[in-house]
Amino acid sequence: MDRNKVSVAEPYLPPAPPTPSSEFVFARLGAYWRALGVSDPDQIAALSEQALRRAAESPEAPGLDAVARALVAAGELLDDWLARAFDLPRSPRELAAARAALLSGAAPNWPAALFAAPGEADTVLDALRAARAEPAPAPSPGAMPAQRIELFGSLDSLRRLWRSEPRD
Amino acid sequence: MTQTVQPSTMGHTLRRMVFFLLVILTTLSAMGLMVSVFQTDGLSPMELILLVLYAILFSWICIAFWTAFMGFFVILTGRDRWAISRQSGPAPDPAAPKPRTAILMPIYNEDSERVFAGLRAIHQSLVDTGQLGDFDFFVLSDTRDPEVWVEEELRWQDMVRALDGKGRIFYRNRPENTSRKSGNLEDFCTRWGGHYRYMIVLDADSIMKGETLVEMTRIMERHPRVALLQTPPVPINRESLFARILQFAGSLYGRMFTAGLNYWQLGESNYWGHNAIIRIQPFLDHCGLPKLPGREPFGGDILSHDFVEAALLRRAGWEVWLAYDLEGSYEEIPPTLIDYAKRDRRWCQGNLQHLRLALSGGFNALSRLHFLMGVMSYAASPLWLLFLLATGIDAYFQTRHEPVYFFGENWAPVWPVSFAVEMTTVLLVTLTMLFLPKGLALLLLLKDGRLRRAHGGMMKATLSVALETLFSVLTAPVLMLFQTKFVLAILLRRAVGWPPQQRGDHMTSLREAALTHGVQTLIGLVAGVLSYQYVPAFFWWFIPVLVGLVLAIPVSMLSSSIALGRQARELGLFLTPEETEPPVVLDYLAENLEEDEPVLPVLRERPASRFVQALTDPYVNALHLSLLPPREPPGKRRRHYLEGLIHQLEEEGPDSLSAAQKRDLISDPETLARLHALFWSRPPANAGMLP
Repeated sequence: MDRNKVSVAEPYLPPAPPTPSSEFVFARLGAYWRALGVSDPDQIAALSEQALRRAAESPEAPGLDAVARALVAAGELLDDWLARAFDLPRSPRELAAARAALLSGAAPNWPAALFAAPGEADTVLDALRAARAEPAPAPSPGAMPAQRIELFGSLDSLRRLWRSEPRD
Repeated sequence: MTQTVQPSTMGHTLRRMVFFLLVILTTLSAMGLMVSVFQTDGLSPMELILLVLYAILFSWICIAFWTAFMGFFVILTGRDRWAISRQSGPAPDPAAPKPRTAILMPIYNEDSERVFAGLRAIHQSLVDTGQLGDFDFFVLSDTRDPEVWVEEELRWQDMVRALDGKGRIFYRNRPENTSRKSGNLEDFCTRWGGHYRYMIVLDADSIMKGETLVEMTRIMERHPRVALLQTPPVPINRESLFARILQFAGSLYGRMFTAGLNYWQLGESNYWGHNAIIRIQPFLDHCGLPKLPGREPFGGDILSHDFVEAALLRRAGWEVWLAYDLEGSYEEIPPTLIDYAKRDRRWCQGNLQHLRLALSGGFNALSRLHFLMGVMSYAASPLWLLFLLATGIDAYFQTRHEPVYFFGENWAPVWPVSFAVEMTTVLLVTLTMLFLPKGLALLLLLKDGRLRRAHGGMMKATLSVALETLFSVLTAPVLMLFQTKFVLAILLRRAVGWPPQQRGDHMTSLREAALTHGVQTLIGLVAGVLSYQYVPAFFWWFIPVLVGLVLAIPVSMLSSSIALGRQARELGLFLTPEETEPPVVLDYLAENLEEDEPVLPVLRERPASRFVQALTDPYVNALHLSLLPPREPPGKRRRHYLEGLIHQLEEEGPDSLSAAQKRDLISDPETLARLHALFWSRPPANAGMLP
């Protein structure tokens, strides 16, 4: 790649607006919620507001602008709900697995469950539980000690002879 | 946990004595003829070199010939009381819990669609046996390419969803591919090996019938002294002419050779790296591979680990068997001559390393022989080349030698003694040893009507053998030069690398063929002109080698042709039973590849980059994040490095990053989450990948 050309070319991602308008933030959050599978505009608006409130309360993260922080907060909202619904530890892997199950298409009507009263979304939760990825069984470790192989001395001498030859 | 070795029975010893006596006697007879020719006017240094080379090469041919002959004998008579599949053993305790078996597929930057189509076919075949519950599947990925890595994760999850395989079909990608394939398997054994009594190791292109898998575990249960059982994988599924010829040869001659190998190797057989079942506990106890002292090519990681693992198991007193009569074990082969040579290049260094191990302490005699056979698979080529050169030089000096008819006081001329009969006998014996096994394999078809029909009938099979022989004569000198080059490159410490295989059918272009075979063609032309000019008598003997080299480019291109391969099939040539009567598991594979209808919607899309999809698509991002192994947070330097990559991605786009840099970005959970938010906060202006 010609670095000189790159430096004058348009960057791959446009630069972040210094002070993004609230319309812009809402538009990006709306697009994100739709990508996650939420289609009801009222639900999108409610979730976006919650995400914005959460982002405002969260400490500034290095490398993330206001819009990105709002999007991170949107993800955390989901994670909170998943952790409560499945009684999960706050481990990033566990939460990511639950989020992947949510977004896998196993329970397309999950947004309804998000707003449902406790106990009314059991079918959705069961489907999500079944869809959670299990990449490996529980560990059952064993030792595999390196074996000793006695190399014959004569061959070692030959090898030393070979190694002493100059290399080009 | 070391078991005592069962003393070899008298029959085992007798078999080996017969085999090695035949090899030794045949070699000595041929050597006797050669010596009788050379010694009339004393052995010249060149003749001595020729004799030594001939002794090594002829004994190598003898081992192959007598192995094939023993296999012919075993299959013809149908009697082999020591075939492991026919030996009785103590019946397993019905009250004991059934053994659990892990089916392992180690992969490295492979075509994910083919890998998972194959694994699904094996799974479907196991469902047919009703024994699926005894098996778990592990896809053990060492993939470095981020595009392939993300695709694998999606394919795995799709397979789990489609086959209801949660808790039975597993996937992991190793953060570092330490010690390559052997390290990959070791990682499995040390982390999850305790759950299973056996593991069945596959290759990325392996296919095995469910009933074969079940039978393998039954045999292992019947024979608690057996640590490893290898099945002979039959080559399948390729359509190019080159591959179909090899598939035909593998199918027709392969079973005779494997029966012959079992005849003399018995419980001291070898491991070929895949399509084998292994008892996990002895593997854990005895197969941890050390690094060999010194640098490459003979030091460092043990590359061809399979031979060494078999030898270590034997050293600890366990038995290793070749279940030559167990059908339903398949593999795919390289589709072109060039791909075949590339595979050879990968294997060559590992096999040469075995020279050092053959001379190591503690291994038994047959293990040493296996190591030496591995070495000879590649060392034979430079030795044949030396032999041809020495023969040519010797012939040149013979032509310069003026015959003297009158010695001293003799008034009558003393005519030179002709050794044409002896030399012709040597040549004929050598050719017979090389080509007779092909005839023997044809004879075996006469005995088995089903197999005869499956190979296209006697006429077509005979014609196919003749054409295959011609093809192997044409390609042998090309492979000889390739392998000689590889051996020299390795000895000169040029990197061999670990390139992934190009497994699918594809044509060799004129450019690729000319670049690869150009020098070989030139060598053929120069050798032809020189020999015709200076040693005309030798030239005519040399023609089969010269023709192969001169025609290397067209032969390589034509043999890579899929159209010619299909045409040959329509003509009934090079047919194999797997083509004429495909087993159900191969039908499953073909269906899976044709009807690739993923359950996951995201797999139905074919984005330009799965790497970008892992950053942008919320589902792919979350799945990938959930599969990353736990790791320490990156240090300061590492964070700066990742920060730099993020800025590079922002400014110059993903194409500016190397595969390794992309992998670094999506290997770190924090960076992955940050990039996800970044992409959604600022959608790329022209990429059109986000709403």
